[in-house]
Amino acid sequence: MRLTVNGTPRELVSPPLTSLLAVLREELGVTSPKAGCQQGGCGACTVLIDGEPRRACLTPLAAVDGAAITTVEGLGDPTNLSPVQAAFDEHYAAQCGFCTSGFLMASHALIERGGGTSREDVIEALSGHVCRCTGYVKIVEAVNAAANGDVHAEETQADMGPQGEENISLIPGSPA
Amino acid sequence: MKAVGARLPRYDGIAHVTGRTQYVDDVRVPGQLWVKALRSPHHHAAITHIDTAPAEALPGVHAVVTCADVPHNVYGHLEALGVPADEPLLADGQVRYKGQPIAAVAADSEAIALAALEAIDIRYEERPAVFDIRQGLDPGAPEIHHWGPVYPHFGPHNHRRVRKGDVEAAFDAADTIVEGVYRPQAIEHCPLETQVSLVVPEANGRLTIYSCTQAMYFSLGVVSAHLEWPLNKIKFVGGTVGGGFGGKVDTATETVCALLAIKSQKPVKWRFTREEEFLASSTRAPWHVEIKDAVSKEGWILGRRTLTLHDSGAYSRFSPYGLTKHAFHHTGAYTIPAVSFDGFVVYSNRVPTTAMRGFGVTSVSLAVETHLNRVAQVLGLDPLELRLKNANRIGDTTGNRVVMHDPSTVAVTLAAAERVGYELGDEYRDMTSERRTGELLPEHLAGQQAPEGEHLIVHSATTNGGH
Amino acid sequence: MALASTEAPEVVAASSIDDAVSAFGDGEGVTVLAGGTILMVDLVHGRLAPERVLMLDKAQMAGVRTEGGRITIGAMTRVAELEDSVEPLATVARGVADPEIRAQATVGGNLCATPGAESPRGDLQAAFIALGAQVRSVGPGGERTEPVEDLLAAGPEGRLVLDVSFEPPQAGASAEVRRPHAHAYTILSVCGAIGVAGTRLAASGAGPRSVRLTSVEEALASGADAAAAAARALDDVSPADDALASAWYREQTLPVLVTRVLNDLG
Repeated sequence: MRLTVNGTPRELVSPPLTSLLAVLREELGVTSPKAGCQQGGCGACTVLIDGEPRRACLTPLAAVDGAAITTVEGLGDPTNLSPVQAAFDEHYAAQCGFCTSGFLMASHALIERGGGTSREDVIEALSGHVCRCTGYVKIVEAVNAAANGDVHAEETQADMGPQGEENISLIPGSPA
Repeated sequence: MKAVGARLPRYDGIAHVTGRTQYVDDVRVPGQLWVKALRSPHHHAAITHIDTAPAEALPGVHAVVTCADVPHNVYGHLEALGVPADEPLLADGQVRYKGQPIAAVAADSEAIALAALEAIDIRYEERPAVFDIRQGLDPGAPEIHHWGPVYPHFGPHNHRRVRKGDVEAAFDAADTIVEGVYRPQAIEHCPLETQVSLVVPEANGRLTIYSCTQAMYFSLGVVSAHLEWPLNKIKFVGGTVGGGFGGKVDTATETVCALLAIKSQKPVKWRFTREEEFLASSTRAPWHVEIKDAVSKEGWILGRRTLTLHDSGAYSRFSPYGLTKHAFHHTGAYTIPAVSFDGFVVYSNRVPTTAMRGFGVTSVSLAVETHLNRVAQVLGLDPLELRLKNANRIGDTTGNRVVMHDPSTVAVTLAAAERVGYELGDEYRDMTSERRTGELLPEHLAGQQAPEGEHLIVHSATTNGGH
Repeated sequence: MALASTEAPEVVAASSIDDAVSAFGDGEGVTVLAGGTILMVDLVHGRLAPERVLMLDKAQMAGVRTEGGRITIGAMTRVAELEDSVEPLATVARGVADPEIRAQATVGGNLCATPGAESPRGDLQAAFIALGAQVRSVGPGGERTEPVEDLLAAGPEGRLVLDVSFEPPQAGASAEVRRPHAHAYTILSVCGAIGVAGTRLAASGAGPRSVRLTSVEEALASGADAAAAAARALDDVSPADDALASAWYREQTLPVLVTRVLNDLG
């Protein structure tokens, strides 16, 4: 079976009914999609399949043979964040971070198809995603900001260290 | 102090949004085995027969462990303080809650590990179970532990006690007695990341334990105690916890994985399924709180009697600690000069309960605040004004005789009232936290007020002893 | 995270309807994989160890078409595609899980869903019953077309559903009790529609599968008012306790939902 994962063609040896989540995490070492429940109930495993957000834990490999898979690793990296990633960071939309990958992929897809500018739109589109830490308010704000083009990526990426860690610095404009 | 008041980025924010944050399940070690546990299907039963040999014989199974493999099977965190433990790492002869782990398997795949569990030959004899702790205290209730239905180690008592002032006199002097019963229920932490650990046996005989624990040094101690290994042979690697909320202090997987890693000499990982997380991992405890207040018609709380039953589940774990915190806060943010508190840690055949955000205190806060609303309703008084009147002030003492130096009850209540546009009488709007005087210092509160400069009032009868 | 069984099943991917029918045969030893939202959970958790899995996603069994006043929905049509259909189907479809699940789950899978142990499954069933839909399936005895409620009563196990068809109703309505949650689970729902044959009603979540509320229909036909007819609903159902609600709660709320649907239908 074949997949294109974040732009790279891959040949797979996993059996055909292996979940896409297991293929990504165990065979390919792409660990951003998480095993939150493996029942399709939490959204932590959501990836894009040919641009559409789907639960990787419910998708058998054989059903996506030949498809293009996008995960968080394909959205952007610490020196080049996509708008939705920068918005999540700026708005503190991640606390423990475990649900974040799934939220990012679904949010990215929502914004790509022109949505996410209202609270109702975000809540409906992300209704399959569970977060136990943030209470969702910051997530909705982040998606709205990204959808409305109100993102300050250059401020968020101050002083990157080699592992993507940031040096502490004040965000310009905040009270000293 | 440039950071105070500044808007700083989270140090882990970029890693979170780029998928680079490493959780235990993201750690990749070659040759890693998968762990599954055989869990009790019964709430309460004797194990009459167990044979793991058929499981060990399955191709792809590298190790199976039971209680026989654990050097120190029953360990509790208060052992070092001379308090006997009551919970086995792996069940020994009986099970006391549905989901209790009995044996664990390390195998090449999850599927093989699951098949190995089915191959274990085990037989049970069911026993009657207790689910309602009130019934658990009845004479003739099914026995869960041989020493009785409650945790017995609160100094010389089998319950936590707080005594202060003359409660009898308070009740005699009351215009009204207001009673209430409050029963907050169990809550599952439900973190997005389930319990998980990965243990790697190193060539030099040490163990590296990748753990989702919220309490690294604590878990290090637990593993060391069960294995009877020195601390310096065990290395814990923590990192980002994918949500804990108090549920990841129980060292739920590390020790079993350590045993399997030692036995198989291969890295082993145990990741709870979501089902295991719901059914077998600890929860916040259910509580039963009975409050009886002696009140005056002007709205003074003259005295309070409290009875708390804490549902510990099948084993005591941290429940005595949670109950103690609960006891300290049973007067809430309010000054009550005469109190009598009794709290019991009661066993049931449920999953052992543990900490969750505000361990022991959220339950008593719910009870106390709801009860105050009830008092206000009975007396026909405004619930916020009732609170402001009884609020902790500088120089007031708590039930366990700690002197208040900087209580914020009045300030916070007034600020909240203003924010939501809640109308208060003038005298209430002008209230402060200053030492009680005049109308705010009626006779029944004079005795509990500490002399200026005092920090703690120590009596010959201790907080946990007394009458 | 390998497969449930230590023996990998044979996987057959059908490339046409005829291919699927032939591969299905009499259904012996065949496990059908449609969307996967139900089956994959059982596979990953080791609850099923199928010998032979028939995948339908390339069998060209999807699509909604209207011909001669009749709407036909292929079994592999995703639930999301029904969100703009007629009532009560549209509202019920919009209420299934969340957008990602709806885009993957199929009409056939929902119709044939095995009864859920913890909560009801197969929300679309009641909508199709209310619409008087006919379901076409193959299996032992060959191809069969029958009312949806008959397939469900006999048990869809051992049948391969091909499509569902119905005439658009004059009016359609639904009422449900759900858990308050963005990703809400339906505790109980009632669907109703007025078609050429009169008023039809069905309930979902009051038994292992959805059922037609024939007692209510008969009461209406003999002139009972909405409330009196609604009370008869309890004759048609046998609700159970589950993780979402008790049988008692369902018995209390079912007549209320029926009354609401009847009032909405006018």
